[in-house]
Amino acid sequence: MIRSELEEVVGEEYISTRESDRLVYATDWFWLPQMWLDRGAQPTLPDFIVHPGTAVEIAEILKIANTYRIPVVPWGGGSGSQGGAAPVFGGIMLDVKRLNRILEIDETSLTVTAEAGINGSVLEWALNEKGLTLPHYAASANCATLGGYLAPRGSGTISTKYGKAEDMVLRMEIVLPTGEIIRTPHVPDHAGGPDYFHLFLGSEGTFGVITEATMQVDYLPEARLLRAVLFQNLGHALEAGRQLMTRRLSPFVIRLYDPASTATQVKKVLGYEMDGAYMVMGFDGDPDIAALQEQKSLEICLGLGGQDLGREPGEKWWDHRYHFYYPPNGLHFPWMYGTTETVTTFDKLEKLYWAQKRAVEETYADWNVNYIGHFSHWFHWGASLYSRFIIPEPPQEAEEAIRLHNRIWDTAITAVLANGGIINEHHGVGLKLSRFMRRQYGPAWPMLERIKKSLDPNGIMNPGKVGF
Amino acid sequence: MKQMIDNAIATLENCRFCLMCRHVAPVGMVTNQEALTPHGMALLVTSQPRGLVAWNAETVGIVFSEVDGGNSRAHCATDQPFEEAMAAARAELVAQGLASTAVTQLHAHLQQWQNPYQPQLPQPATGVAQVALFAGDEAAYLWPDTLPAVLKLLSAVGMEVVGVGHGRNNGLFAHSAGFPDLAAQLWQATLDELASVGAKQLLLLSAGDYYAFNGRRGGFSRPVSASARVSPADFIEVTDLLAERLAAGEIAFRKTEDETPWAYVDPTHAVRVPERHERVRGLVTAVMPTPPRELFWRKDRAQPVGSTYIQFSNPPLAERLTRARLQDARDSGAQLLLCEDPATLHHLNRYAGEYGLRVQGLYELLAERVSSEQ
Repeated sequence: MIRSELEEVVGEEYISTRESDRLVYATDWFWLPQMWLDRGAQPTLPDFIVHPGTAVEIAEILKIANTYRIPVVPWGGGSGSQGGAAPVFGGIMLDVKRLNRILEIDETSLTVTAEAGINGSVLEWALNEKGLTLPHYAASANCATLGGYLAPRGSGTISTKYGKAEDMVLRMEIVLPTGEIIRTPHVPDHAGGPDYFHLFLGSEGTFGVITEATMQVDYLPEARLLRAVLFQNLGHALEAGRQLMTRRLSPFVIRLYDPASTATQVKKVLGYEMDGAYMVMGFDGDPDIAALQEQKSLEICLGLGGQDLGREPGEKWWDHRYHFYYPPNGLHFPWMYGTTETVTTFDKLEKLYWAQKRAVEETYADWNVNYIGHFSHWFHWGASLYSRFIIPEPPQEAEEAIRLHNRIWDTAITAVLANGGIINEHHGVGLKLSRFMRRQYGPAWPMLERIKKSLDPNGIMNPGKVGF
Repeated sequence: MKQMIDNAIATLENCRFCLMCRHVAPVGMVTNQEALTPHGMALLVTSQPRGLVAWNAETVGIVFSEVDGGNSRAHCATDQPFEEAMAAARAELVAQGLASTAVTQLHAHLQQWQNPYQPQLPQPATGVAQVALFAGDEAAYLWPDTLPAVLKLLSAVGMEVVGVGHGRNNGLFAHSAGFPDLAAQLWQATLDELASVGAKQLLLLSAGDYYAFNGRRGGFSRPVSASARVSPADFIEVTDLLAERLAAGEIAFRKTEDETPWAYVDPTHAVRVPERHERVRGLVTAVMPTPPRELFWRKDRAQPVGSTYIQFSNPPLAERLTRARLQDARDSGAQLLLCEDPATLHHLNRYAGEYGLRVQGLYELLAERVSSEQ
């Protein structure tokens, strides 16, 4: 009966209960369901996979889900690493990839309006044809969708100059859990009342489904200057990054690898064998301005003991920046792994790094845990620490592996929260970090729960995620 | 076979949780279905030995929906031979007798007639020449105006050639469908013919033919006849040869007076031969009087039409792929589509009228406009 009602909305062609589809939609990029599949165990499967073509169809689907109290999990590219798209309670998998049209490119205001299911790289190619770019260069762009950029508050490689995805969005169309379709005001920066707009950024499908967005775009830069500097002292490197940011030298990227990452990741992908902390910085736009910014930045780095490695290592990093995530370079089975990334202010940043590193390495030394990190998304006030743990030989028994996995996460996040960090900078909360939300928000958490209850009275939207 | 399957599984173990080529993966793009993305297909194949899925009509059908156009590998940062791995998976399914009736019938037809299109054996090669032209089955049966046009063009540059493989599949088709032994026989038959006519150079009509005989990437190995005296450098696409002769002033074309908005359609398998993208465009602009429209899915991101083996294993999907190209062409503003690949032309032409588009063979156009004064 439910299937036939869904078919009436989207048509028979756009709904599936096939075995193969249900299996493939059972996991996003979260280690846990992938591990489950790797071990030959079946994670929870969705009951229906539905491919709506319009916001109106999504509204109708949500009304059906409310009638039958069926969970609905929005699905874009499935590239999330947090289990945000995992159908932990079954229900309807709402694949929005048919909403993939570019509706308008405004070359006067420099905006693009597109449906939320459009693929990130396809959108970027379309903009490039007009000399434009959406400066959200996510490593997942080849698979992620526009809605997937926004829903978990993603950051891309050049966020240090251009901001997070949420800083680029002007307006969104959202289908609320109860089926109403709303459009946020034309622009986000105004004094026309409370800012409900940002409530949906970071809600990861728990407050509704983003179906359309207008994004700020930029001209493709005339110049991109990249350079690498090697520091023997991580603290000095962090100070260099702080000075670049607080002096407003506008790097589009600062990627600072800790010595462990330099020795492993940088060596594996770029082929450089170096001791120390490898830092890439980049400047773009007008060639003269970029060159001056680079010169001033290099002076700061050299003054703090950095060794100028020149342009080639920086450019090589840029050319291979996503290769760190492709097989066989990326994280893979049979390893156990997790990206315990966080963000904090400059005054706490180095202390947080050492605290998390020490906590993970000392607590799980018996498992030969590897802890690596880099600092990748910088703000005027601080930066993100993109840290990872890797256990090369985890327990073979799945339940035991999960218990160890969760203990490591407890350790890592406890260190984060005790040292002024936020539980996540850009991957989102999903299922993985859901249990830490109450600890992070404290007395504010019940307020968020009340908002959730008000928007989604039957709790159908992506249950189990973002703490809800 | 076992080594091939082991290599395939190793590749698919890499691909099963990698999502990085889906922006160019044709079937996932036109269907929006996760199971039909490279990640989904790889996850499915690697889940079967883990006991998570069983081979049945549904799951086997997915494996035989991978188009083998080369897009995933062309965009893989670490050069994973995804398409070749999927072909090996299909070979395993064929060997286990699990392929569909349509695939089994395709195998029988290819085996009996050496082509999938007509119940007719290849024409034997006759004559002796330094240069041979692989006529193949697609030019013979799908776009027969190709061959006379190409012979006229080659004559214009002073080349006399002997046709080989007239009516025979280039082997790639059989390889894609999961018939590696049959593919090897087809390749060998053409290479033997090449040796028999004494040719040292083999001209090829399309990117697919070129890839079939001169694929330089490791995962797709093919036998080279000891009797054939050609080296990889001696496999040449006709478009490349003409572009070279055009640049050298050895051939010239009169521009047409037709100002219909036009676009060149990169054929199926074009992404496997990236060096051809600009060369062939140089050839087309020599004869067209107006600047081209360009499809969005072009050059290194060109998508295939439904001209690979999937036209038999999954005809509706083949049609969707072809229609997606036509829609892209219409969106570009073009009204006339040019291409040299007989198979791509045939498939585009089946539905072009529904999109207000006209399809013309590039070789025929060039042959019409070749200048007698050089």
